Amino acid sequence: MSEEYNEMDLEQSQALNVEMKEDPKKFLTFLSDGLTFAIDATNVGEIITNYPITMVPNVPSFIKGIINLRGQIIPIIDIRERMHKPPLYETTDTSCIIVLDINSTSIGIFVDAVSHVVDIYESKISPMPPNSSQELVKGMMSLTKEMVILFLDCELLLQ
Amino acid sequence: MDNGMENMLDMYLFETNSLLEQLDEVLLDAEKADTFTTDNVNEIFRIMHTIKGSSAMMEFSSLMTIAHRIEDLFFFIRENTIDSIDEEHKRELFDLMFFSTDMLRAEVEKLENNEPLTSNVDSFVEKVNSFLNKISNKTDNEAVSDDKKAENSEKAENSSTNLPEDGSGAFLKVTFDEGCGMENLRAFMLVTAVKDIYENLTFYPSDVETNPETAAAIVEKGFLLGFDTKETLDAALNIVQSSGNVQSYEVLMPSPVEKEEKAVDVKEEKESTVPNVSAASTQKVQAPTPTQQSANANAMQHIGANKQSLISVNLSKLDKLMDLMGELVITESMVTSSPELQGLKLDNFTKSARQLRKLTDDLQDTVMSIRMIPVAGAFQKMNRIVRDMSKSLNKDVRLTIIGEDTEVDKTIVDSIGDPIMHMVRNSMDHGIEKTAEERVLAGKKAQGEIILSAEHTGNEVIITIQDDGQGADPAKILEKARRNGILTKPESEYSQKEVLALLMAPGFSTNEQVTEYSGRGVGMDVVKKNIEKIAGTVTITSELGKGMCTTMKIPLTMAIVDGMEVSVGKSIFTIPISNIRQSFKISPEEIIYDAQGQEIVKRMDNFYPIIRVHRIYNIETEITNLEDGILVWVGEGDKSYCLFVDELMGEQQVVVKPLPSYLNAYNIKQSGIGGCTILGDGNISIILDITTLHHTANDYAY
Repeated sequence: MSEEYNEMDLEQSQALNVEMKEDPKKFLTFLSDGLTFAIDATNVGEIITNYPITMVPNVPSFIKGIINLRGQIIPIIDIRERMHKPPLYETTDTSCIIVLDINSTSIGIFVDAVSHVVDIYESKISPMPPNSSQELVKGMMSLTKEMVILFLDCELLLQ
Repeated sequence: MDNGMENMLDMYLFETNSLLEQLDEVLLDAEKADTFTTDNVNEIFRIMHTIKGSSAMMEFSSLMTIAHRIEDLFFFIRENTIDSIDEEHKRELFDLMFFSTDMLRAEVEKLENNEPLTSNVDSFVEKVNSFLNKISNKTDNEAVSDDKKAENSEKAENSSTNLPEDGSGAFLKVTFDEGCGMENLRAFMLVTAVKDIYENLTFYPSDVETNPETAAAIVEKGFLLGFDTKETLDAALNIVQSSGNVQSYEVLMPSPVEKEEKAVDVKEEKESTVPNVSAASTQKVQAPTPTQQSANANAMQHIGANKQSLISVNLSKLDKLMDLMGELVITESMVTSSPELQGLKLDNFTKSARQLRKLTDDLQDTVMSIRMIPVAGAFQKMNRIVRDMSKSLNKDVRLTIIGEDTEVDKTIVDSIGDPIMHMVRNSMDHGIEKTAEERVLAGKKAQGEIILSAEHTGNEVIITIQDDGQGADPAKILEKARRNGILTKPESEYSQKEVLALLMAPGFSTNEQVTEYSGRGVGMDVVKKNIEKIAGTVTITSELGKGMCTTMKIPLTMAIVDGMEVSVGKSIFTIPISNIRQSFKISPEEIIYDAQGQEIVKRMDNFYPIIRVHRIYNIETEITNLEDGILVWVGEGDKSYCLFVDELMGEQQVVVKPLPSYLNAYNIKQSGIGGCTILGDGNISIILDITTLHHTANDYAY
């Protein structure tokens, strides 16, 4: 989205490229409650906004409901509530749904905002510190000094 | 592989599988009668012949060889009639046949799973050969020695073809392709070719070169080549095989005493089939080739007759058709109930819309009926399982099948196969008593019985598997459940129904030992899961000592239902019209309260509880007074109650879509949600399942 970010990514990737011969993987980063998360871009189907969500009774509150995406029924989960954080009460200009395709199951996650796509060397991802009670995250990495990315485990999301 | 090949493989698998099913049926029928009728033998021969042919075409040599050996075997049986085989051998023959169908099936399964085929089937071939030897020795002692001898034997005689006595030691009878014309000239060319390596060749008719009339004689009787010994004949065989238009040839040995003959059937020129159909009696010599051909012709006719009225269609095309049908129904209601038409007086439009509705209804029924097939296929397979298990467990059990003509959707037939098999195996293994004495002591017939039945009731198909065995012992089930740690409350609180439901809980398997057939740890929970996948339910009833009955209820047409749209707050729900008995407004004085404060209403001299949809689903709505909203009286089976909703929105045909599998983890199926549907405006409506909604309401603490 923002120019500086992209340039920064480029520099970063080039710097890393000298160190090792590994192809970078593309990740989509998004914001949720002030944190930056990243998901493997191969799992991302599309990003949609302003979809009417039909609520489903008798399910945990993090399941916001289901949507009709061109005839396909897709469940939507609120990533904030899934992580036991207070939900976003109103949809904002930036809030949107990322439709993920994980092992041929479609699921939508409701996020505060989508930021951008970054190239990341998988070997640079550090595991979560032990005893971390953070769910659904399989690793983390600092992109810049201020910015730490949490890597979402898509398979866990389905369980 | 290119598409054409894939299609061919599909066709091959389909054809072979259905042939194998037919074969199983024939075999089971035959075994019941304890003998093969002539029809049975012909049928098996035909099936094997077809499998052999198509396998050879697809170059699946193991399948071809197996089929070929059985074909040989049945060729022999057909020629000698089944009566020539004594009882003991018959039994052996049955076992051999079942064994070989299993083998064929295993090979076909490998093909389906893309695994390499067995390359070595020698042991099987050996088995068939030795059996063939056994029966052929028994049957024509005077005429036939075993086939190995026959191979070496130089003395043979042909009684049907009158061999000229010119001192030749061996004759070759050549038949040309039917209708190839100018047989005499072809024969002469053959003679010239053979004379290159063997000069003293004699041939009959001898005037082929000059007399065109001989063509007819050759067509009728074949062309005879005379050699001094078999060795020279063998040398000439190559030439005969490679020359054009030779359909088949036979080696004939003149011998006054023994009647033996070896038939070599070479189809077309190059394809050399495995020779040595075991030495046969005189009848066979008369014309092995023609009989085979007529068998072919029969088979052709048989297939031809079927093909005229049936086509096989790839299921994915039907699925696609079904999807389109669904879209069409949605679009139709989108058009006819478009908000832009509201309040307009459109007589012609309404008329045409009604016509359109009628047509889509018809189209829908037709599309549905295309997918309907009888459950017979799934049921018939059980015959074989009962037969095999009866033998290996040494239990005498009869399988009774009722209502096998019941037609259900193809996907249902596919998904009930495994559950039924599981239940039948369970009944065989654990249900039916171990010995006949036990049964007699319990006052039952010595022969056990398993009843498999299917029937339609309204919009459901009910499949039951019932046995008259020992039934399930609640005490044992509870004990087992406790040991496996799946009890959720004190044992004494379990009702009979709940105890039986434990059987289907994950991690439960009643049998102490793992047997060949059941009790492999995958218990009945798999059955339950499979049935739930097609929106069905499974219940087990059992009485100790009397037997057990498993009932599977499966909705007949899952795809499209007539529904009533109702609104509750902002949500829209669909209630299947077939469940609705009445809808009505109510006045405050009509409401009756019981001790728990449960609201009850009286309808047609009966009392029904009122279930507030907004309350059980926690939906915010302004309409909470019963007299402000509307009551919908619904019923399903023996359950009947009134649903309280805000408003009726109108009737619509809806296409049922399953809810995303992700949500299944939260057991929403149990809370009265049957699925969802997309409305004309693109919104989603949740379809209520009247049966499970009732359970939820019961759980709900008032």
